[in-house]
Amino acid sequence: MEEVDKILIHALRHVGTEVGEDVDSLKRFTSDLIVEAVVRCVRVIEPGLGGALPTSLPPGMSARFRVGMSLAQACQDVGYKGEIGYQTFLYSNEPEIRSLLMFLVEKLPRERAEASDQSAGKSAVLQRSIAAAIRTQLAASWVPPNCRLPLHCETQNHGALHSFHVQPLTFPHCTKTSDKKHLKGLPPCSLHFTRNACAPCSDRTGSVLSEVQDYHRDVLPPVTAQASSQASAVASILERHAAELSAAQEWDNDWKSQGLLSRLTPQEYRSRKSSRLRKRIEEQLRSAAAPSPESAFGVSRSASELTELLQTFKGSAPSAHVLTKGTHFTHAQKFTFTQEGAATSPVLAGRQSEGDAQIRQQEELSSLQQQFQQLCSEVDQLAADIKHLNVTNAQVLDELKQRELRNAEEEEKMQVKKKTADLLPDAENNLLKLQSLVEGGAKRVVNLASQWEKHRAPLIEEYRRLKEICSNKDLESNRKLSEIKSLHEKIRVSTEEAKKKEDTYKQLVTELERLPKDASRSAYTQRILEIVGNIKKQKEEITKILSDTKELQKEINNLTGKLDRTFAVTDELVFKDAKKDESVRKAYKYLAALHENCNQLIQTIEDTGTILREIRDLEEQIEAENGNKTVSNLERILDDYKAIRQENAALAAKVREG
Amino acid sequence: MELSESVQRGLQLGADRSSVDQRSFQVLVDSCFRSLLSSQGDPAVLDEPELKHVDRIQLKQIHSAATTFILEAVKQNADRSAISSSLEELTFSAERIEIFYSSYQKHKKELERLLASLGRRPAQINDVSWRLQYNTKNKQLDKVNQPFYLISLNTEGPGASEELSFTCTTEQLQDLVGKLKDAAKSLDRASQM
Repeated sequence: MEEVDKILIHALRHVGTEVGEDVDSLKRFTSDLIVEAVVRCVRVIEPGLGGALPTSLPPGMSARFRVGMSLAQACQDVGYKGEIGYQTFLYSNEPEIRSLLMFLVEKLPRERAEASDQSAGKSAVLQRSIAAAIRTQLAASWVPPNCRLPLHCETQNHGALHSFHVQPLTFPHCTKTSDKKHLKGLPPCSLHFTRNACAPCSDRTGSVLSEVQDYHRDVLPPVTAQASSQASAVASILERHAAELSAAQEWDNDWKSQGLLSRLTPQEYRSRKSSRLRKRIEEQLRSAAAPSPESAFGVSRSASELTELLQTFKGSAPSAHVLTKGTHFTHAQKFTFTQEGAATSPVLAGRQSEGDAQIRQQEELSSLQQQFQQLCSEVDQLAADIKHLNVTNAQVLDELKQRELRNAEEEEKMQVKKKTADLLPDAENNLLKLQSLVEGGAKRVVNLASQWEKHRAPLIEEYRRLKEICSNKDLESNRKLSEIKSLHEKIRVSTEEAKKKEDTYKQLVTELERLPKDASRSAYTQRILEIVGNIKKQKEEITKILSDTKELQKEINNLTGKLDRTFAVTDELVFKDAKKDESVRKAYKYLAALHENCNQLIQTIEDTGTILREIRDLEEQIEAENGNKTVSNLERILDDYKAIRQENAALAAKVREG
Repeated sequence: MELSESVQRGLQLGADRSSVDQRSFQVLVDSCFRSLLSSQGDPAVLDEPELKHVDRIQLKQIHSAATTFILEAVKQNADRSAISSSLEELTFSAERIEIFYSSYQKHKKELERLLASLGRRPAQINDVSWRLQYNTKNKQLDKVNQPFYLISLNTEGPGASEELSFTCTTEQLQDLVGKLKDAAKSLDRASQM
């Protein structure tokens, strides 16, 4: 009960009721306090209802009566289902007050729940920190630049700004492989990842040349001194680290998804990928730099730029094999240059009037253009001729090859025929010889075939066995790959979960610190758990008692049944003999009396039991009624009644006078 | 905090007692912070007498890894638990973590300022001077009677300060002031989140 009272008092204090420090249970609540508490609660629950009610009882009795009635009405409007009237406030008793206050406190809107209902997502955390930072900045007042103190420097007076400029840095690599025992279990540094480290510094096996080592040891300045300014040093360090991290992550993703499937070692996979990429780049460059004559003008112009770029890479190689075809544009350039070269001389030679020179120039221009057109057409024709000739050349070569093949066949046939012609004169002998040769050949073939069979069978067995082993291994490796993939997935998922849980844990810790420390929750929870345990025990006891009672009742029923039957049987037996014998008649009388008395005894015992129960009930009722303080309330009612009578008399007198 | 492999390796070298002992560790940490905060990169920052017995290459590796670690920690505004858990994973002993963390606390503000100075920012308005002019007549109209505002904003950008001058009518000025008030209100709203 004390816990309930404490919770109620705390909630009432929260609403605004001034409950004194020494009041810690509802027994001490006076009527005024009750009225104030109820009114404030009603005001919070429904502001419309509670606005009209005063927070304290007015002195006059009828006014108090009226206030009590309106308060009771308000409570019923809010939804209280119990019996309530003016007497609950003016002549209060504890249980009613407790139930009323509990109902009202439950109805109080849960503002606290809304405040702590903050989502724990990452973006929410970020937004909250942004809001907090903005709030602190807004709180600092703006100061004109001449008066700024160093504490304003951060937010208001911004120093020199540097742009994020990055410079390549050289980091010293790890040194001899004998150092590996110091580096616990990390893989050796892979030089493919150190972007700015000089790749040519290492030879094939990955160890570092001694000259480079000496350079690193003696000459190389520390990384912060390698950049030109402090800001770019910081920027370069950060950028390099981010690049390393992202490269490692890329490699991880790539290896896990594609690399494992290809079943190569990491180095082989990497080398294969790099060679593939290089080939693709070469192909692209070649196709972009080798244009076709019918391509559009724009493409050919960019292609010519690309070829110029490639030429600068190659140095001074003029007209490389890539440029054999040339374009209209390059030809046109060549021709215009040559034309200009040819045109300058006649202009210089003749210093006549400008009009003449112009006309002549125009004539020359047109003639040269005609020439050019002619030459172009001739070139085209020649190209077409060349193509045609190439095609015929190829055809002729083909024919030649075919003829030679046929020649060889005919020669063979001729050889065979010549041999048979030679053998014809000695026909019969040769025939016999040939037959024996043929038979011998056939036997040899059969022999060889059987030997081959002998060899073939075990080899085929071997082959099949190896193939099976290979396919088994394939299955195994597939299974293991899928296992590895699932393990990777699980690792990823569990690391994500762990990170999330850590984040939420941190957040909840900060929130817990922020929450106001009111009536401690642990006391509540402990109390609740105790009560639950008690109730469980009581339930067990009740079930035990119930089962005991049932047992007893069954026994009683059994015994009464037995008793009745035995009595009936003995009654009959004795009655039969009672007619003849006197002693038997006496015995029968005694039997009947015994039965009667025992019945009475049983009856009295049962009555005693019921009466005891009634006594207990009545005692409980007495206790409950004692808590109602009815006597004091009655006295107060009598006093108030007298007061109302007096007020009425006074009012009547006033009315009569005025 | 995520660290790349080279940084982890370098830091492990720093945690190793056989290569760097306690006293040199303190000097090393101090010189790392000093090298980041000095305005001109000092090539001799690692030439302390206490560090002479450490192998030069290892020293430079530890120095580069440590500077990267410090910058990443300041960038992510790492608190004590994050830094100590990362260093514990790299086998640093508790005293070394303590030494590192106390130096980190000392220099954190300066490093934050250094990192905050990287980037771009638009210019800030420091002062306003205005002139109200009233056009009475012009060649085409006999009665114009219109006010004009000549406003000159004194802004301070990174490095230089410049004046931004413009003229506007009354409505345009009201528009501008309304927009400024909207901006202030949205900033308030953002801080209430």
